[in-house]
Amino acid sequence: MTSLKRPHASTTPTTTLSSKTYLRTLKSGKVQKIVRELYLRQDIPCSSQLCSACLDLQPSGFHKKTAPFVLSPTPAGTKNYPQGHYLVPDTNAFLSAMDLFESEGVFQDVVVLQTVLEEVKNRSLPLYNRLIALTKNDGKRFYVFFNDFRLETFVQREAGETINDRNDRAVRQSCIWYAEHLQQAVSARKSARCPAVVMLSDDRDCLRKAKAEGVTCSTLEDYVFALPDADRLLDMVASSKENRVTKEGKAQLLYPDYLSMSAMLTGVKSGTLHQGNFNVSPYNYLEGTVHVPAFDRSLIIQGRENSNRAVSGDIVVVEVLPKDQWKAPSSKVIEEEDVGKNENPENEDGAAEGIVTEQERRALQEEVKRVHGRSTEGQAQPTAKVVGIIKRNWRQYVGHIDKDSVRSRAKESRAQQTVFLVPMDKKVPKIRVRTRQAASLLGQRVLVTIDSWDRESRYPVGHFIRSLGELETKGAETEALLLEWDVQYRPFPKTVLDCLPAEGHGWKVPASTDDPGWQGRRDLRDLLVCSIDPPGCVDIDDALHAKKLPNGNFEVGVHIADVSHFVKPGNAMDKEASLRGTTVYLVDKRIDMLPSLLGTDLCSLKPYVERYAFSVIWEVDSNADIVSSSFTKSVIRSREAFAYEAAQLRIDDQSQQDDLTQGMRHLMMLSKKLRAKRMAAGALNLASPEVRVETESETSDPVDVKTKQLLDTNQLVEEFMLLANISVAAKNYEAFPQVALLRRHAAPPKTNFEELSNQLKTKKGMELKTDSSRALADSLDACQDPANPFFNTLVRILATRCMMSAEYFCSGTQSYPEFRHYGLASEIYTHFTSPIRRYADLEAHRQLAAAIDYEPLDASLQSKSKLEGVCKNINVRHRNAQMAGRASVEYYVGQALKGRVLEEEGFVMRIFSNGFVVFVPRFGIEGLIRLREMSGEEGREPESVFNAEEYWLQIQGKEVERKVELFQKIKVRISDEAEEGTGKRKIRLQLV
Amino acid sequence: MPLDSSIYTLSGLRLDGRRWNELRRLHAQMGTQAAADGSAYVEMGNTKIICTVDGPQEQRRTGMRDQGNEAKIEVELGLAGFSGVDRKRRARNDKRVQELQHTIATTFATTLFTHLYPHSTISIHLHVLSQDGSILAAALNAATLALIDAGIPMSDYIAACTVGSTAGMSEKEEESDPVLDVNGLEENELPFLTVGSTGDGDRVNCLVMETKCQVARLEGMLSVGLDGCRQIRGILDGVVRAHGRKLLQGKVS
Repeated sequence: MTSLKRPHASTTPTTTLSSKTYLRTLKSGKVQKIVRELYLRQDIPCSSQLCSACLDLQPSGFHKKTAPFVLSPTPAGTKNYPQGHYLVPDTNAFLSAMDLFESEGVFQDVVVLQTVLEEVKNRSLPLYNRLIALTKNDGKRFYVFFNDFRLETFVQREAGETINDRNDRAVRQSCIWYAEHLQQAVSARKSARCPAVVMLSDDRDCLRKAKAEGVTCSTLEDYVFALPDADRLLDMVASSKENRVTKEGKAQLLYPDYLSMSAMLTGVKSGTLHQGNFNVSPYNYLEGTVHVPAFDRSLIIQGRENSNRAVSGDIVVVEVLPKDQWKAPSSKVIEEEDVGKNENPENEDGAAEGIVTEQERRALQEEVKRVHGRSTEGQAQPTAKVVGIIKRNWRQYVGHIDKDSVRSRAKESRAQQTVFLVPMDKKVPKIRVRTRQAASLLGQRVLVTIDSWDRESRYPVGHFIRSLGELETKGAETEALLLEWDVQYRPFPKTVLDCLPAEGHGWKVPASTDDPGWQGRRDLRDLLVCSIDPPGCVDIDDALHAKKLPNGNFEVGVHIADVSHFVKPGNAMDKEASLRGTTVYLVDKRIDMLPSLLGTDLCSLKPYVERYAFSVIWEVDSNADIVSSSFTKSVIRSREAFAYEAAQLRIDDQSQQDDLTQGMRHLMMLSKKLRAKRMAAGALNLASPEVRVETESETSDPVDVKTKQLLDTNQLVEEFMLLANISVAAKNYEAFPQVALLRRHAAPPKTNFEELSNQLKTKKGMELKTDSSRALADSLDACQDPANPFFNTLVRILATRCMMSAEYFCSGTQSYPEFRHYGLASEIYTHFTSPIRRYADLEAHRQLAAAIDYEPLDASLQSKSKLEGVCKNINVRHRNAQMAGRASVEYYVGQALKGRVLEEEGFVMRIFSNGFVVFVPRFGIEGLIRLREMSGEEGREPESVFNAEEYWLQIQGKEVERKVELFQKIKVRISDEAEEGTGKRKIRLQLV
Repeated sequence: MPLDSSIYTLSGLRLDGRRWNELRRLHAQMGTQAAADGSAYVEMGNTKIICTVDGPQEQRRTGMRDQGNEAKIEVELGLAGFSGVDRKRRARNDKRVQELQHTIATTFATTLFTHLYPHSTISIHLHVLSQDGSILAAALNAATLALIDAGIPMSDYIAACTVGSTAGMSEKEEESDPVLDVNGLEENELPFLTVGSTGDGDRVNCLVMETKCQVARLEGMLSVGLDGCRQIRGILDGVVRAHGRKLLQGKVS
């Protein structure tokens, strides 16, 4: 017996008022029933430019604005719909083929139904955001039709009807209405051509019903087939379940199932499960770590089964394994390319090999043996397995097609086949991709995305998006690394360029001081200001001056480009800049945050011309203690733009006695005192392997690699920039205690240094004190090896890697003691001095301008939540920009070494049981030398003894016999070789 | 996850399908409780409130400071346990409820002719049966009708409504629209204010705003709100007149 329930009174569809009832589950597991009113209306336009009836009834908003109609009166036709057509895709079409919808030139005039939009949002937030972006793209002509609010198209869910069926019915209902409505509109205009309304769906049942109801419909595949260039487009469709269904019967479930979301959340809440970010080790693709708050050390996740389809970057829920299964972190290098070389991408069932291939098992087994063999249990770390995934952080991946996985290489073959894509990022597993153009994609850099990773598939399944060009070509590699680090590199859109001053390069500081631009500005044109930058710098952010005051003190000024004068909060340019977050410097090009008219001309504090600036002026005594400080908007005229070396020469040249040089000497003297004070306070002097690639000016082909030189003038500029940043941070915090944008650097937890300090102790008998930054700085200074002057730098490089990364934050989200910048030993810090290339500085400028009552603070800077969003974005962008820059240097170093064989000094940085990592300071490269490569024989490892406690590796091969220790100085031969499988060039190191 | 109010920028439609300047369905009745001196029932969308008025009657508690020659207005507001999404029991001295009561009492002190009833009390009891935003506005409207039903002399109706602002949802700050008569979902997401007015929307008797909002937007919100009050006043007036007509015809005792 079933009980019947009387529906709510207002659910009768005759009235214009309906209601929507649904249940929702909260994070706490509570279930709520929500009842919402729904006002049905008839003034929602169809947005077709064919229709004039809708144009009349469209109401306007508060600001008397109406949306222009989107859909073209003459939409494109195809073979099947020669009269032109509007598309109405269903949810699955968007979920499986978003890349297709985004591709240029096809899929225009699309009606996105509210029902579909809502469902897409439920299923995937990133896809929803991409869809929203599409609807804002003028050229694509996507229109969101709110069918659930329109009386004629609203569909009430019937008793016993599933939500999916209701939604499908709503889509069909809307198609019917659209077709009728267009017919009316066309006959009113007395034109003959009436576009078809085509529903796209892959649901057989829905298609059948649609046919019965007289709705024009098509499957996505059939539709794309009728388009020109169908092969390329079809590859961009995610392989749908439908295609795989054939094999369902015998498919074996390789991976354990995930827990349900509520089970995970309850587990995390009660502390039996832990949530964290899944990170794969760069040296061993089978080992990952998850840092969770409950443990000091990161949890280890070893093996394919335990990592259970998690991809590096995902937010996962893990369960800690029993203590007897805990393992030590791997001391072995395992790369996917070597182990999984011979797998067949077509082989889906995996029955023969199971989830872990034989080779992988062997690779891991030795590991286990070693751990069990040891008596001291101190090395074992908590080990866990992934039981569920909270959020996938899949993005688009750049890689190349694995040559061995391609079956038929004939260029003209159009057979669909499955191939492996090897991502550039070693932490990401191979991706299985179905394509019809495998042969032509070989040897190309391609962009793919992951669609799913099912239990029956060893590797994730993805689809092809586009090809970037041939491997090793400059264009393709540069684009690849920009995509890989998510750097926005497209030219600025017109809306952004429209925000630039109309005068263009002819813009000048107004001559008359009565001009509104002068209001609130101090005239500092008579000061002897100069800028000191790297050679060839065009975006000059900062300039300096100093002069002796009659009372013996000094007046020092730091003048920063007044970018906030040109970039007003909230306009298109500001939006774009806040998305880009920072300028990205690659070896051969610069991807600007702001259009170059501003960055390299109007804002840039070029010499000999007047420019707007934001000045920080201090009075300091001869001990470089600050007596007073003031902040002001100003106008300056820089007298000279020096390169670091030129400035150094000028200061050292005693024959120069003019006022400008004297000022620079004052600056130099004060900066040295400032630096000494900072060091005494415990600031760290860290090092990172920095090299500079010299390129030929015309072709930008790399010529040589040089390590960067540090001059006193570098430090001069740095000291005053730090001082300015600190002063501004204090001022902004005082004015806006809740919403000041600051930068902090957390003290690293002690465990971060454990490994390094242990290594130093056993190898060199040195002690690393990490109680405070002061203690660390002192003990780093003490790490000297008289026989090896580079040793100290090496230790500093290693110590830098143990640190936390500095981050931007909004002052209201942390307590004052947490503001501290560990590396600079400053209580409070922000970025103020490079507004041309960093968005954070621009925001700091706006806040400072408001703090000195120059202009009111914009609303976006008063909201803590908005500022937090900005911080989060620029933190990510900042890190990505650094990574992209490094990757670019790495690529160019590789290019510079092309075809050369060199012998260089190197240092052993890390030891594994089957290889070791060598750092070559001359080129700033880090490379792995594997035992396998040293034996002389192909594929055979020489005998070796590995001591993990004392960090040495004894090699006893037939030809070579030697001991390699950590921190040891060795000679390596550097050469480059093309990898056989991929045709990719790689730097190869050999022990000499 | 249903769509949130960010869809407003896409379509100019709110979560429940209304435009920016549309009120929800307003349904009102007078004389619903025969036992009370005056009573009314008001629905604004899914917000439902019953109001009863007792008095003017002699002050119960003696010995307290007598306000002398004016009637005292007492307001008691109860949120029924089943009225919200979650069943929640509110403490007797809930600060929020106390503030609402105080606001309502001071608002009516401006229109009721309390000087006609020295040494007496007028008590207004409000029962919220269902909550879906704009509680204060609905309570003020219900109390107005109940007080009229009780026959207490007053200078004018108090008609009240809420206005939100879509600030933060829209692309550009200056393009944010004020939205009239916010419902429960919008109340959680948007800054909003409650305004109560008399006359042809030219006298503001009550203005409450508990969320943060840019000053520049306030003027637009307020003018839209007063316009809403004018509409509500029209509806209330219709209800009162219809009720009066029935009374005169002797259909209601």
